[in-house]
Amino acid sequence: MAFIMPAFVTAKLNLILLSLLLLVSTSSIAAKFSIDRAIITKIGHGYSLQASINYSLTPRVKEAVANGVPIVFIQELEIIHALPLLGDFWQWQSTLWSTSLRYELRYHALTNQYVVNDLDTEHHRNFISLEAALDALGSIDAFTLPPEHMTETDNLHIYLRSSLDLLALPTPMRPGALISSKWQLGSPWTEATWQ
Amino acid sequence: MAIALIKRLSSGTTPYFSLAILLVILAYLLTAATSDSSKLNDLFLVIFGLGLAILVLLTAILVRSLHRLYKDFKQREAGSRLTIRLVSLFVLLILVSTTIVYSFSIHFLHRGINSWFNVQVEQALDDALELSRSSFGIRMRTLLRQTRMMSGVLSELPDNELNHGLRELNQLSGAIEMSIWNMNGQLITSSIENPAIMVPNRPDDAIFRQLEQQEDYIGLDPGDNDELQLRAAVRIPKKSVLQQDKMLHVMFPVNERLSSLGKTVQNAYTDYKELSYLRQPLITVFTLTLSLIVLLTVLASIWFAVWISRRIVHPLQELADGTQSVASGNYNTQLTTSNHDEIGFLVRSFNQMTQRLTQERNASQRSHRMLEQQTNYLGAVLGSLSSGVITLDDGHRLKTANVASSAILDVKLQHHLEYSLSHISDKHSHLDTFVEMIMEQIKHHHNWQQQLELHPKKRRQTLMCRGTLLPNDAGWVIVFDDITTLLQAQRNAAWGEVARRLAHEIKNPLTPIQLSAERLQHKYGALLPDDQTDLLNKLTNTIIQQVDAMKDMVNDFSDYARNPGLQLAKHNIANLIKEVLALYQSHPHHSISLKQNTPDIELRIDSNRFRQVLHNLLKNAIEASEEANLPVTIEIEYSQVQHNHTNWLELSVLDRGPGIPDEMLTRLFEPYATNKLKGTGLGLAIVKKIIEEHHGMVWAENRSVNGACIIIRLPLEDPDL
Repeated sequence: MAFIMPAFVTAKLNLILLSLLLLVSTSSIAAKFSIDRAIITKIGHGYSLQASINYSLTPRVKEAVANGVPIVFIQELEIIHALPLLGDFWQWQSTLWSTSLRYELRYHALTNQYVVNDLDTEHHRNFISLEAALDALGSIDAFTLPPEHMTETDNLHIYLRSSLDLLALPTPMRPGALISSKWQLGSPWTEATWQ
Repeated sequence: MAIALIKRLSSGTTPYFSLAILLVILAYLLTAATSDSSKLNDLFLVIFGLGLAILVLLTAILVRSLHRLYKDFKQREAGSRLTIRLVSLFVLLILVSTTIVYSFSIHFLHRGINSWFNVQVEQALDDALELSRSSFGIRMRTLLRQTRMMSGVLSELPDNELNHGLRELNQLSGAIEMSIWNMNGQLITSSIENPAIMVPNRPDDAIFRQLEQQEDYIGLDPGDNDELQLRAAVRIPKKSVLQQDKMLHVMFPVNERLSSLGKTVQNAYTDYKELSYLRQPLITVFTLTLSLIVLLTVLASIWFAVWISRRIVHPLQELADGTQSVASGNYNTQLTTSNHDEIGFLVRSFNQMTQRLTQERNASQRSHRMLEQQTNYLGAVLGSLSSGVITLDDGHRLKTANVASSAILDVKLQHHLEYSLSHISDKHSHLDTFVEMIMEQIKHHHNWQQQLELHPKKRRQTLMCRGTLLPNDAGWVIVFDDITTLLQAQRNAAWGEVARRLAHEIKNPLTPIQLSAERLQHKYGALLPDDQTDLLNKLTNTIIQQVDAMKDMVNDFSDYARNPGLQLAKHNIANLIKEVLALYQSHPHHSISLKQNTPDIELRIDSNRFRQVLHNLLKNAIEASEEANLPVTIEIEYSQVQHNHTNWLELSVLDRGPGIPDEMLTRLFEPYATNKLKGTGLGLAIVKKIIEEHHGMVWAENRSVNGACIIIRLPLEDPDL
């Protein structure tokens, strides 16, 4: 479902505002998640996304995982159609499509493994180390983009970001997590490049 | 907008009950939200935020209420001191009790949560987990050996029989699935027991890396629905160097009972571990929640304390205001109360008191009005009296004096009220006699009556005074009448009677006497010798002249006595005077002049009698000057004057004669009051009679240099004329 949101902002201005917003929301803390690579590849008549997200967790988050607290990761995707009105300075932007993928990571003490659950499909995978689990989480191999929105790729921008779902934490942890910088790990919106 | 909301919320009674209900609901929601099992768990932050918002709102309302209270206190509003005292007491009670409860609650909260965790339980769980792992370890070692054997078997098979061999081994071993992978992670072949599953489970990259290091892998895997599975991965030995490296990956089922027990241990351990980890945040959240509820309760209680204190003090405040109002004279003050307690009783009693006071005041006002009316009535009566009435208090101070008293004594007595009589006599010397007489009489404490003569402005005034002692020796009321005119009238009447009798008794024999004397002269004059004839003539002439003189005198008496009706008509006064003066101006040594200041004054008079007045006055002036051997210089002036709101004609006859002696001035116009050699002494008496018949007045004054002046005043507009 396409959600149209008019916004008279330039791409540059948008970036500045986004940076400011991030600056305000996370104050002086740098984002711990980063999108190292995001590429759109044409496969047959469709397009798929390949991305690599670096999930580096703070010791506080690792401690929570080790103590059996399930952590939910969110990966958000947006396809934005930008219509330049005044060159690069003013653009009419509308969000054509957006989705979010949610994964739960938790430690299985008996088997000494890390289990990653896809909360949408209920599929799970087991990993013998946290790093392996995070690598697998951060590796988007071939995410098929919706073909109905990909017929005309001119002026089409695909943005990607990932963060922790702090509201999915157990209730006692939520207030602390919401105000603590050690839990504010979200990556900024990153635009995928066309290949 | 926000201020209006706060104002509305901080007045009336509804907000307090609404707030109490809101707080109860909020406390319930917060309690429910902190419980893990509740659906409100996810809304904890929202509810907490709502609680904080209410806290801020409540703080604002409370600050406003306290500020109002402080302002009232600074402005010394009635009841504010008591309100502050009550609020302080309530706040102290609230804070002390809440602090105690809060401290104990925090203490029990910490103790309660910490008591959930026990070292022994933790150790037991650790041991249980370790035991489970050990239990599975035996099985895993067995299965690892079995897998190695199967890899040995498979290593003997050519590549094209691997699939067949794998299926047989799968059936023999009872594995869930078996698969062969090359070390690049590509599937070579697989055998899956469940026909619904087409693609085998791919081993983790870490397993590949482990195998590359020549270490076999055996591990327990959580499967779907947390059921446990055993995963084994071993390298398939190569028969030749040319063969590619392969790996056998086998998934074994775990005994259902064992799996179930393992799952239970895992869940218990994880839960305990998580709970133990969440201990501090849990304590923090509970403490925050408790603090929020306590803060809300304290603020709401203080707000309620302010409200209830105001409510308690309000009737007392109204009573204080009402008392002040009554003290300042407003007796109509009525307070409203619906309370049935002691304060309500007090308010009702206050209302009864003010009602009684109002009734009493109204009665007093009515009495006062009646007294005023009576005083006014008495004043009107006294004012209309022709008698002078004054009252003195026991200290001889003048308390009241009517208009007539001032007119009679020729002193504005109203200006001397509350002054003593001696003070008044000091100011007005002509009242000395009057005051002395009163002071003398009131020494004796009984009613008295006395006639008194005063001499104000060289006049003679006769007063008849009566003094009456007021009840309880409260003073005196003194009534006096000016009886001067009355006495004068009595004298005039007596003289009129004398004149009438004289005229009647004497005039009749005079004519026969005169005729007889003339007959004697005619009849016996010729008979007597010449020397005796002269004597006879001389004697009879004397008789005839004296009889003429007696006739003149009798005529004067007759004029004085007679009282004919006035023949009134409008006359020009100047013309009348000129007519009379014409008769006198022929005398060479007489200077008689008329000063005509105001021409053309007309008035209704009897012209004949007015001429007689002028004749008498001129005659009197001429005789007075001639007797004193002074030149006869007479001036007549007339003018229009205003006196006592009436227009008068004032006519003066001035001479340069010897003047009038002072003792004569007061009785100059009485009959026979004369110091002249000639005349009957009736001239000026007749003048006065005629002038009074015309409702005028006449008096005499001595001129400042020499000579006298007779002044006549006649009313110009007399309705009776």
